[in-house]
Amino acid sequence: MVGAIHELPIKGWIDTKGVKMGARISIPVRRIDAKEKAGGWTKYIGDYQFKNLQHGRFLRSERARAKIIEIKKPDFPEGYYYIDASDIPSSGKNNIQMIKDDWRVFAVSDVKYIGETIAVILGPDKQKVLDLLNRIEVIYEDLVPAFTFDDALSCKGGAVYGDNNIFSEYLLNVGNVDNAFKDAVKIVEGKYETGFQEHLYMETQGLVGAWEDEKITIYASSQCPFYIRKSVAVTLGVPVEDIRVRQTTTGGAFGGKEHFPDVIATPLAVAVNKVKKPVAMIYDRIEDISFTSKRHPSKITIKTGLDKSNNIIAMDIDTLVNGGAYESSTTIVLQRAILHGIGVYNIPNARIRGRAVATNTFPSDAYRGFGAPQGLFAIEMHMSHVADELGLDSSDFRRKHFIKTNDITITNAKMHDDVKLPEMFEKIDEMSDYSSKVKEFANDPVKGIGIAFVNHGGGFTGNGEQAIIKGVVKMKRLEGGKAGLYVSVVEMGQGLQTTMRKIAAKELGLDYEDIVYDNPDTDIVPDSGPTCASRSIMVVGFLVQECAKKLKAKWNEGVGVEAEDVYKHPDGLVWEQETLQGDAYPSYGWGINVIEVEFDPVTYEVKTTGIWAVWDIGVAIDETIMQGQSSGGVIQALGYASIEKCELKNGTFMQHTMADYTIPTSLDFPKVETCFIDNPYKYGPSGAKGAGELVFDAAPPAYAEAVQNAIGKRIYDIPVTPEMIMEALK
Amino acid sequence: MVDSYRPKDLKDALSIRAEYNPQPLAGGTDLMVRYQSWSGTLPLFTKSVMFVGHLKEMKYIKKEAKDKTVTLVIGGTATLTDVANHPDTPVVLKEAVLSIAAPALRNNATLTGNICNASPAGDSICALYALDAVIVIEKSGSRREVPITEFITGPGRTILGPDELVTAIKIPLKASSVNDFTKVGTRRANALSKLSFTGVADYKNGRIDSIALTFGAVGPTVVRSVELEKKLIGLSGPELKAMIPKVIDDYSTVIVPIDDQRSTAVYRKKVALNLLEKYLKELSSHE
Repeated sequence: MVGAIHELPIKGWIDTKGVKMGARISIPVRRIDAKEKAGGWTKYIGDYQFKNLQHGRFLRSERARAKIIEIKKPDFPEGYYYIDASDIPSSGKNNIQMIKDDWRVFAVSDVKYIGETIAVILGPDKQKVLDLLNRIEVIYEDLVPAFTFDDALSCKGGAVYGDNNIFSEYLLNVGNVDNAFKDAVKIVEGKYETGFQEHLYMETQGLVGAWEDEKITIYASSQCPFYIRKSVAVTLGVPVEDIRVRQTTTGGAFGGKEHFPDVIATPLAVAVNKVKKPVAMIYDRIEDISFTSKRHPSKITIKTGLDKSNNIIAMDIDTLVNGGAYESSTTIVLQRAILHGIGVYNIPNARIRGRAVATNTFPSDAYRGFGAPQGLFAIEMHMSHVADELGLDSSDFRRKHFIKTNDITITNAKMHDDVKLPEMFEKIDEMSDYSSKVKEFANDPVKGIGIAFVNHGGGFTGNGEQAIIKGVVKMKRLEGGKAGLYVSVVEMGQGLQTTMRKIAAKELGLDYEDIVYDNPDTDIVPDSGPTCASRSIMVVGFLVQECAKKLKAKWNEGVGVEAEDVYKHPDGLVWEQETLQGDAYPSYGWGINVIEVEFDPVTYEVKTTGIWAVWDIGVAIDETIMQGQSSGGVIQALGYASIEKCELKNGTFMQHTMADYTIPTSLDFPKVETCFIDNPYKYGPSGAKGAGELVFDAAPPAYAEAVQNAIGKRIYDIPVTPEMIMEALK
Repeated sequence: MVDSYRPKDLKDALSIRAEYNPQPLAGGTDLMVRYQSWSGTLPLFTKSVMFVGHLKEMKYIKKEAKDKTVTLVIGGTATLTDVANHPDTPVVLKEAVLSIAAPALRNNATLTGNICNASPAGDSICALYALDAVIVIEKSGSRREVPITEFITGPGRTILGPDELVTAIKIPLKASSVNDFTKVGTRRANALSKLSFTGVADYKNGRIDSIALTFGAVGPTVVRSVELEKKLIGLSGPELKAMIPKVIDDYSTVIVPIDDQRSTAVYRKKVALNLLEKYLKELSSHE
């Protein structure tokens, strides 16, 4: 049976006092940061004042692949510095410790992509820094760069990485695929491609490094203060305790401030370590679009075998993602892409080969969804194409193959979730009138409707929460009936400052405004892990809930009493990291999107006329905040699917201004009609599961299917631009 | 280093322009972007700058009647918002202006600036070509008027002399019953053009009496062929309808766009011709 269904939007907020619990947690409260942010009072990194602040700017590679022959420098006046790898202390190393440490702090002797850091130029006057930078001449000897998947696989110009350009390779297998294909009466094959995507957070990348109390403090617009602490400590060769990282209010991130701030923080720390003065590295917008990581492009081939009753009996998938010049977190992105590679379906015999390749493009990195959107786009489009090939209704065909509780997953484990997709389909069908519109639009020359079904694993893959993170949270009773919350996950627009307070307040019986939760400072908060992987609410929020229970039990011991909680992996889950076998995620969020479009046969432009979303995220901690996540995630994904073209030409992103890299405005898409279905998860706070990435996953294939139905031609790639539609209709 | 000048009136501006040849800057919405540098440092102007946006003598829009022609005269510092709000602004120009950027930018940007920027993708320019706009150019002691088609000579290039200023734009207000301005942008608002199209035409006694067809962002300047338009003068609706395929063929030789970061040559050409076809069909159904 369906759990309680809560229609949105709920009109208005309840009085904030109402969250002194007993009330259902999902009832919205006023966002704690709303007034300050809307009023423009919030301080971001560029607003901070530092005494004697120096301004740094990177000397960057202008070549995609080349040897550095010589760097000709002008004389530097007093107080101006050229900082490069030679300034790294002998105890440290020229590596950025992310998931892998292959990304260099400073390029030495050669460069591997356009924009690679060669040196930091810094001084008190920006204009003089710029003049010095402009007078530096780097003499290169060009090598042959590799940019595309074909370049990478053929090792064009020699391998960029290892001897074959393969950062990592996996093979997932369930059942017996080769045998099953022998029994297939029909085989359908398709090749699906997705492009780069820029985060375009409102606040650009920005960090200030300072020399305070005889140690380095990094002020950072960031998702993961402890990641920065670790990478800086490794680069300088000092204990992590010698580095302090203070998160500054972060104006959007979307994964772009997960690992990437390390690429700025490490050379910055080398500079601060040398000059012992505060140094700011704050990107301009064009610099940010040109020289920061993007979403991994993908190329996925899927072959499906069917029996005579039109059941899928075999599926063979080949997944490629472009990691760019350094591996960093690419292998984990690849894992997400393949672990979500067969989507929400029960395929008895399935095989996925996944490879992450090295090229001379700017290194790709985290972006909301972390590989899953690429894998899910391919499988959803493919399921649509198979149905089309068989002359079947696309949604009926997919629904027939839905995975159910206890079915076997691609990693040979049981699906533990209570899968509510059938009920969710009923709900979205009712909201959007999907089924009747499918029939109505079948012969309509310009209208189309599309649907997509997705899930998204919450938290780190496999047992990563246990094996890698081991998150810790701490709470403390403060004066005046307040409680302090000490966690390392951050507010970055997703509402965490509010939702975490609600979780803690509910257990303590306090007003959520009585919970003190400051921007994390690594000298004060324990490491509860990074703000990523849809883990903040599900994993850290659960720790907060449990910690609050402990604090409540001790509350009467008086002001100052503390409680702590440490992550424990749910019982009964198994995981083999090398082979990716077992329970890939402790739980999944589930979602369905329906998108309705109308295309203009004169200009080939597509107008989206309706968007509907139904989500199972366990329980929403705050329905208004989740409405924001749903709207934001869906629209961001629709930008990815339609207008966010990011082409690489000779290693340079062609769309590097906000005029040319366009993201949707409120005129481009209508309101996202959203509904949440309750399906409480035992190990989530009040039953909540991960949600931040899930909301991105379904819109691209739903949109592409809608366009495909409108124009009567299959779509294999995103973004689906008017140019592409024109070509398809030729 | 460059100097900056803030003249007290137009006369002063013309004499500064003559003496120092500074770059005129009205709203600054193009120039400040073009010359931007690291935030916190000065913009990278290559020559001195003269601010003109504040000059009140040029901040007007008025109608002038002479003989039988009525002309809309838009002063050199009238903003895009002024132009959009004026009741006598021809509908295609109004639509073109309202398709530019966002209200905040339009409040600052001037029509003159959009013309002098001379971008082939300048949305107002596409409409102004179709409206036979005339550019009023002044320098100390003299004044000349030049059709916009002669004023703009290439991407970012005009005939404006180093001692001259554009002080007004004149638009003859003509009867026009079938009007279309369509911008195909990178998104629905705050977008730059992939291409644009303007069509204005009027019938007299059942025959086409006047017609102008212009295309933006499909060549080094806005494309208009008076020669091809002449072939349509005097046609009736049904005659025009029969000729549409031939007209499309003719225009396909004059529309020669390029690939860039916003779109492709093939798309631009195809859509430009589609928009032309759509307009001509609409036109042929009127009389």
